[in-house]
Amino acid sequence: MRINSRLVVMAVMLIGSLMLAACGSPAAAPAGSKDAAAPASAVTTVGFLFVGPKDDFGYNQAAYLGSTGMEKELGSKVKVIRAENVPETEEAERVMESMIQQGAKVIFPTSYGHLDPALNVAKRHPEVTFIHQGGLKTSSNLGTYFGNIFEEVYLGGVTAGKMTKTNKLGFIASFPIPQVLENINAFELGAKSVNPNATTSVVFTANWCDPGKQAEAANNLIAQGVDVLTQHQDCTKTIVEAAERKGIMSVGYHADASSLAPKGWLTGSVWNWSPLYTQEVQAVLDGKWKEGPLAGKYRVGMKEGAVKLAPFGSSVPADVQALVKQKEQDIMSGKLAPFAGPIKDQSGAVKIAAGVNPTVDQLETTDYLVEGVVGSIPR
Amino acid sequence: MSNIATFLRGSHPRLRTSLRPALITTLSAVIVPLCLFSVFLMMAGVAPLDAFRAMLQSSLGSSYGIGEVLVRAAPFALTALATAIPARAGLLNVGAEGQLVVGALGAAAASALLKDIGIVGLPVLILAGIIGGAAWAGLAAVLRTKLQLNETISTLLLNYVAYLLVAHILQGPLRDPASFNWPFSPPIPDGMRFPVLFDSRVHLGLLIAPVAAIIFALALWRTYWGLNLRVTGGNPQAARRAGIDVAKTYLTVMLIAGAMAGLAGVLQVVGVEGRLRPSTGVGFGYSGFLAAWMVSHHPLWLLGSSLLLAAIVVSGDALQITSGLPSSTVGILTALVLLGVLARGHSQGVRL
Amino acid sequence: MLPIIIAVLSGAIRSGTAVLFACLGEIIAERAGVVNLGTEGCMLIGALGAFAATAMTGNPFLGAFVGGLCGASLAAVHAYVAVIRRGNQLASGLAITILGLGVTSFFGRSFVATQINGMNSISIAGLSDLPILGPILFQHDALTYLAAFLAPGIWFVLYRTRWGLMLRATGERQDVVYSVGLSPTLIRCLAVICGGFLAGLGGAQLSVAYTLNWVENMTQGRGYVAVALVIFSSWSPLTAVAGSYLFGGALSLQLALQARGVGASPFLMSAIPYLVTLAVLVLVGRRRRQAMPDELRAVFERGG
Repeated sequence: MRINSRLVVMAVMLIGSLMLAACGSPAAAPAGSKDAAAPASAVTTVGFLFVGPKDDFGYNQAAYLGSTGMEKELGSKVKVIRAENVPETEEAERVMESMIQQGAKVIFPTSYGHLDPALNVAKRHPEVTFIHQGGLKTSSNLGTYFGNIFEEVYLGGVTAGKMTKTNKLGFIASFPIPQVLENINAFELGAKSVNPNATTSVVFTANWCDPGKQAEAANNLIAQGVDVLTQHQDCTKTIVEAAERKGIMSVGYHADASSLAPKGWLTGSVWNWSPLYTQEVQAVLDGKWKEGPLAGKYRVGMKEGAVKLAPFGSSVPADVQALVKQKEQDIMSGKLAPFAGPIKDQSGAVKIAAGVNPTVDQLETTDYLVEGVVGSIPR
Repeated sequence: MSNIATFLRGSHPRLRTSLRPALITTLSAVIVPLCLFSVFLMMAGVAPLDAFRAMLQSSLGSSYGIGEVLVRAAPFALTALATAIPARAGLLNVGAEGQLVVGALGAAAASALLKDIGIVGLPVLILAGIIGGAAWAGLAAVLRTKLQLNETISTLLLNYVAYLLVAHILQGPLRDPASFNWPFSPPIPDGMRFPVLFDSRVHLGLLIAPVAAIIFALALWRTYWGLNLRVTGGNPQAARRAGIDVAKTYLTVMLIAGAMAGLAGVLQVVGVEGRLRPSTGVGFGYSGFLAAWMVSHHPLWLLGSSLLLAAIVVSGDALQITSGLPSSTVGILTALVLLGVLARGHSQGVRL
Repeated sequence: MLPIIIAVLSGAIRSGTAVLFACLGEIIAERAGVVNLGTEGCMLIGALGAFAATAMTGNPFLGAFVGGLCGASLAAVHAYVAVIRRGNQLASGLAITILGLGVTSFFGRSFVATQINGMNSISIAGLSDLPILGPILFQHDALTYLAAFLAPGIWFVLYRTRWGLMLRATGERQDVVYSVGLSPTLIRCLAVICGGFLAGLGGAQLSVAYTLNWVENMTQGRGYVAVALVIFSSWSPLTAVAGSYLFGGALSLQLALQARGVGASPFLMSAIPYLVTLAVLVLVGRRRRQAMPDELRAVFERGG
């Protein structure tokens, strides 16, 4: 009796699926063949993979906004398909394959961990262009790009160093990966450049987004005497709001959250991906992507407008604003480089020698914290 | 097959008695969840029939889709076995999740230690995965048999410890020096991985799942050990009186369960992934748990439920890409199907 | 040093409260003989419901109530499947959690960037200004106080009222309940729904009183911890208070140590709350087991 009931269930499902698939194929076939037969000038499908939800007020939202900006800019020339919450595992491969089945010719895997899966898929599909966010490996049809957000984080550090009264800054970090460590270092270096006594206490939540932990980390740092909080988390709202409620200052990350903290907001680092995304896709459409620098390790900074400084809060006095703006100019003109040597780590060992300006590879493999950071990297 | 045929023709003598529960089951486990899910889809402004069609097309509509379903179903089936085997002995293992992760860790660590020794390394990796998973499950088993700590709770909590342990080890000792300080284990040399069929991701390791299921089915129904297991699961007091060493049975089933989950980790790391990452296999344990419960821990039917869940996962991509629905939508469908199965009622509980 | 101790202890209470609500709710359900592993899902849906209602009405108290109702409705599904249809409790609970996760991420998207005015901390005249004890105990939001008062309240109901007696009887020997003409099924359903309401309140504390935020999967396993703490507390609401604050304390302590620059792995330290829970379960295990409601043994000690 039990077996029979199971058989009926399975049979019903099988018949149902076959029927659906049968009536599905004629409807889907024209759509597929249209894409396949379309001349190169017609619509190009562009696929985006995000590692988290697209509206997290952070990393993924920035990439998502970049994709909508690009879509608007290129209009009817592109069709954009998206997938969120794509884990940094082999599952990303499957998602990319399904996008290619949907006709995608350009794919943006926007998280570091999507790199290996993307390289695998790229090998199988030489006709598709892969444009990866944040990676250090490339192949014939896979290029990488990233924004030098540390330039803005450095300026945030300058602002914080000027504004702090206790000389203690707090950094709520997620995981001790290079991109995060690079930002912690940039923040402390910025602060120390204007305030030699400034230290940055860092707490790793071991999580990209746990508001409960973020709030608790904020409280604990504040109890230490920290009076400026910044962060590298995927969702950023809780910490900015918590700082405001406790009457301390905050420097934002990923997104402009000045509206959340009218009193304590200083400034923040913001992504602006749409110009770059547009440039990349346009180059593919023109058939020029492979020749240009885009096919390699492409890095853009504030000069190219890929990263921006969020508006200053009302509490930042005019002279501090002017100082930061000046430094911004200096970075853009190449006069100032946040990571110009000598850079020493916490033990005092020289990591970047005097007079040396580190390469992209050096920076994006950071595995140390600079002098003045309180906290340690787990090993 | 002839059974189905007679059944469908309606000449089966027991038709009248068997049709009613079958209908209820169908209604409760298929039709009602699909209807409820359709309501969700409509709320999101998506036509349900189009969505279902896209889902089917992407999962069962092409050889690629079918391959992907198999790639996903095999680890689900193994974690389902990790749930079903202890369940037959009366234990609730909710820890396939953590056991998988530690098994994957074992395989990745073994690969890092061995360097590239070619195909002879593969059995070593498999063994390391089995040991990892079994050790993690064994911990819960010892807590249960020696300290009377309920295994449902301990395995659940140990899942979290396992994730964090792996994250820690990937940050430190097992971090690949060539991965730019990112927390990934060194890639497993191609020579030590499961051979792949054609240009797809379907690999020979997938066969482990059906083989394990068949072995367990035979062991359960055709051996003295299986009888012991069933008696213990039916009534531990009676089993004890009958001279069965209940603690030993508990320990063995948990070790075997952990080994199964560890194998699922091996399939991921040595099969498709090629290295260990902090998020490798996360969620697979719970999917297996659901797959086992959908078929009341039947060792062979769980292959079917694993395929079903895998198809739902694979088709979820299409749902997202073509309809722009959030990825979580798939979770709703999975949960509704399982609740529907469970709501069939008590009469269809574990058959011992 | 003192400010740190104060921060850790007050953090223990703040971050333990959500777990405490859920734990109290689970105690009610388990006292009636039903385990609800869906507590995690109920918390999530409560967190979103509370946040959404607060965003719409501007009233966090109304929001918290709505959050409770959301938790209760999800728990009602569990009651239907596990109690009325007699499906396996643990599997049903897990399915409820998956459902809660799916539903909340589905409907929660529009609220991610929303700003709300949540609950403020309430000062109690005379007490809040006490040195040391003031900031630790008496500078919290309304829900935190409510949880602390609810624990003895639930204890009183369970042990000193006829209602409580019937509830406990349902979990121990349901034939007694039959004999006085009540339906154990009904009592179980009510207990599960009631537990779901409290779990929903726990979620609400996270979203509208503590973090003033909603993000996908924001409970991050706190519901499962609550279920584990029920055993730890040997089904007593009073011990649950200690257990929950201990968990909160472990969470707060590891962040405080890091903030002081103590070099230890954040991953291993994040595991401390779970390990502490396990260790305490082991230490008190044998004794606690005696307190387990009889009907629960059928769930916990036989896989079926």
